[in-house]
Amino acid sequence: MSARIRRSWLVVPLSKAEQIAQAPRSGADVIALDLVEFVAEDDKPAARARAQAAIHAAHAGGAEVFAQVDPELLVADLHACAWPGLTGVIVSRLESVQQVAEVDELLAELEARRGILHGTLEIVAALETARGNHAAYDIARRSPRIRGLTLGRTDLIMDLRPEPSGEIHLMPYLMQRLVAVARALGVTPIGAWWRAPARGLLAPPDDTYHAARRGRAIGFAGSLCIDVNQVEPLNQGFTPDAAEAAAAQQLVTAYHAGVARGVAVVEQGDRLVDRGSATQALALLDLAAACAARDREKAEMAARPLLALP
Amino acid sequence: MAILVRRSNLLAPITATERVSQAWQSDADAITLDLEDGVVETRKAEARGLVKEAIDLAGRGGAEVFVRVNATLLHADLEASVWPGLRGIMLPRVASAAEVAEAVEQMTALERRRGLAAGALELIVLLESARGVWDIRSIITSSPRITQVGLDESDLACDLGITPLPEHDPYVYARGRLVIETTAANAQPIGITYPLGVHPRRSSAAEIHRMATDARNLGLKGVVCPDPSWVAPVNAAFTPTADLVAYNKRVREVFAGAVAAGTAAVPLDGRMIDVPVDEWAKVVLAMAAACDARDVQKRAARAIA
Amino acid sequence: MAAHQVRRSGLTMPVVTRRFVDHAWRRGCDFINLDLEDSVPQHLKAHARGLIKDAIPVVRKGGAEAFTRINHDYVHADLDAIVWPGLSKVNYPKAETADEIRLLDAVITRLERERGIRPGTVEIGANIETAKGVAAAYDIASASPRVKEFGGGTGYDMSRDLGVEMFVGFEQFAYGKGELELAARALGLEVRAAPFVANTTGSVSDADRAFREAQAGRRCGFRLGGGLNPAVVEAQNRGFTPTAEEADDAQWVLERHRELAGTGETWIAIDGRVIDRYEAARARDTLEWAALCAERDREKAEAVLRTRVAMAEPAP
Repeated sequence: MSARIRRSWLVVPLSKAEQIAQAPRSGADVIALDLVEFVAEDDKPAARARAQAAIHAAHAGGAEVFAQVDPELLVADLHACAWPGLTGVIVSRLESVQQVAEVDELLAELEARRGILHGTLEIVAALETARGNHAAYDIARRSPRIRGLTLGRTDLIMDLRPEPSGEIHLMPYLMQRLVAVARALGVTPIGAWWRAPARGLLAPPDDTYHAARRGRAIGFAGSLCIDVNQVEPLNQGFTPDAAEAAAAQQLVTAYHAGVARGVAVVEQGDRLVDRGSATQALALLDLAAACAARDREKAEMAARPLLALP
Repeated sequence: MAILVRRSNLLAPITATERVSQAWQSDADAITLDLEDGVVETRKAEARGLVKEAIDLAGRGGAEVFVRVNATLLHADLEASVWPGLRGIMLPRVASAAEVAEAVEQMTALERRRGLAAGALELIVLLESARGVWDIRSIITSSPRITQVGLDESDLACDLGITPLPEHDPYVYARGRLVIETTAANAQPIGITYPLGVHPRRSSAAEIHRMATDARNLGLKGVVCPDPSWVAPVNAAFTPTADLVAYNKRVREVFAGAVAAGTAAVPLDGRMIDVPVDEWAKVVLAMAAACDARDVQKRAARAIA
Repeated sequence: MAAHQVRRSGLTMPVVTRRFVDHAWRRGCDFINLDLEDSVPQHLKAHARGLIKDAIPVVRKGGAEAFTRINHDYVHADLDAIVWPGLSKVNYPKAETADEIRLLDAVITRLERERGIRPGTVEIGANIETAKGVAAAYDIASASPRVKEFGGGTGYDMSRDLGVEMFVGFEQFAYGKGELELAARALGLEVRAAPFVANTTGSVSDADRAFREAQAGRRCGFRLGGGLNPAVVEAQNRGFTPTAEEADDAQWVLERHRELAGTGETWIAIDGRVIDRYEAARARDTLEWAALCAERDREKAEAVLRTRVAMAEPAP
């Protein structure tokens, strides 16, 4: 798996100076500077003015930096955020192929003007409406910049509510559909399997860990969150733990031993282990290694002094 | 339209000679000689040489005989497999209609060369990628040879980036799409309930029966069995019981009486029998008759084997 | 999402059963669905067609809307018999293609014009009951502006098409339900859906169960009901209507949300409960729905009173 490790995406409102200052210490793999969900309309101009410095500061802890932008305010939001140091943008409530084309064009323009290597600014499409989800496949393949798909705060925007079982109505279907579409196009599905009482990406740490682990069980690689206390649980939930890695290693060893004997299906207890199981186990070990590398990288970057803004 | 009865399809790795020679005794409706995941890389060439004889061996008890080919060794495997006595090919890792077309082209040529009726060979298609699941409609409507479609859940796990947990089924969407699109295309969706597809194992007959029954109630029509111990419980789960047949015969009688008397609904044992209930009775009785016919066929074949 | 009509409860009944039709107005339903399809025996279908025109005003006496369920295979004969003033909706079973819906639309349009019905009055209920229908869901739902509600994907006919038993205690139709609901939402149609509740009895007359299901549905934001047995009508009316407590709570939420304006905050937590624009939108929706329900109930009560007076019946 060559995709970057992005287990935790901490949403930080650009209207909150203190949260911006705290973000580098959060341990998040990604800091998502928000101009949409948590910034009051009147505060947007001031928030945009803060973006460039915030991007620089967010790097200090080793996080990648995205900016969450509004598809109806693209010109202002993208101008404010497309600076060296930004990895990409999350486009909230993305609904149409035309919107993707618009974002793509604006990003290309800004890359050229601001000395950013052409084509490197990524897009994560937040499909938070019924129309956006319905058009997911066409949206996701409209631009090679799209590297991720997420449901974002679909539960709130589509007004999907908890069922008696604790599942949020329609979310299990929407999640698995998103994973299928994303993987069909080779892009990363971002999200977690939230259950009541989680609401709009906000949940207590324990619930967050379980949402992440369940999310990994259906194909998600990382999730957005609102509170700094959710970061570690997300990192843990999306990282294979020691027990999983040990079991995977055992399985791979048993399989290879079988193959050496000329046997393609090996019995592990009552389980029938074949090439498919071995491939899954190897993928898990690769993921564990990549997570460990990302954690080391973050630790190293956190230890470096903050570079001055050019 | 005749009902296809292929409740159990037993996989037998072609290099496991004892498994192959004993397969016909399992009472499976179909036997798939496996050249793919059941055979190590270093023996795949050797495996091809075993197919022709194995087809006859496996077909002795009246089972339909298939061969699962390697997607990456398609031409050589098909060349080695198309012989009289073969029912069809199990084609894994299909992600596009073009891949089906490629296999069909060669199968058609081989049918001609080897004296099989044109178009006789069926295809069982296995999807193991998100791409295959998304594009399922164009794939399965691309050839009338396709009679069954399933998911290879193990490979699909890798493609979907899943680390499966036994308590959370990650294939609800994919399996649901399989059932709907395959049924809509007038073919049969096959598979078993989670997690026996992604983590196949030996288990008690009761558990296999239970999971096969749940699979049936999800709309699946048959199960690819990785182990002979699965066959009997799978066959049973997909066959209406004698009690069920008797009840549904009574339903049909009672409802016919109601119609003759001019009403559209009549009570029977505390239940209202109306058009939908009678329609379902027809389905059950037709399935029972078809299963019975198939079982008779197999018994006759075994008697002279 | 704004509701276009109040349809919490309704009964599907064979139009050939005189006493059902005559007493329908007393049931308290929001709609009555006169059936020409599965509850009418084949040899009575021609006779049934002739009954619809007069039955429409009879079932509307209590204020209910009048719908009809037609036969998939007798579109022209059935529509000709049913599209009369007073009909609000045609329910079409086993819809499988957009073309079928377009045909219905064209025939209904002609009949509306010929018979003095305001254009666009008669809605089409496109009922998906087969795998082919699910596969064509979005095309079907978008084939005509007469389609205003959409959803489903379960039931006897779907079960038969897939070859599955019903009432097995687990969710058998997740994919189909999801596809239909996504199409409905993407097209801005009213959603016919419900939270999954395991049902192993298949009972159609359990009022307690009907209430719990309606309540669970309402709490998930759904509002469409209907059934076969009068025992569930009152339960559905009650279950799909916001309670006084819920209306009061909605007012409270709106007041708390108004207080956020000008503070620069987009949300606030009060006793662990988040108040933001989404909660405010839900609250507004609840109050609108409560008002619509109250108006509908008044409308029905007045219709019942008028009918009793006309029949010189004493009030109960």
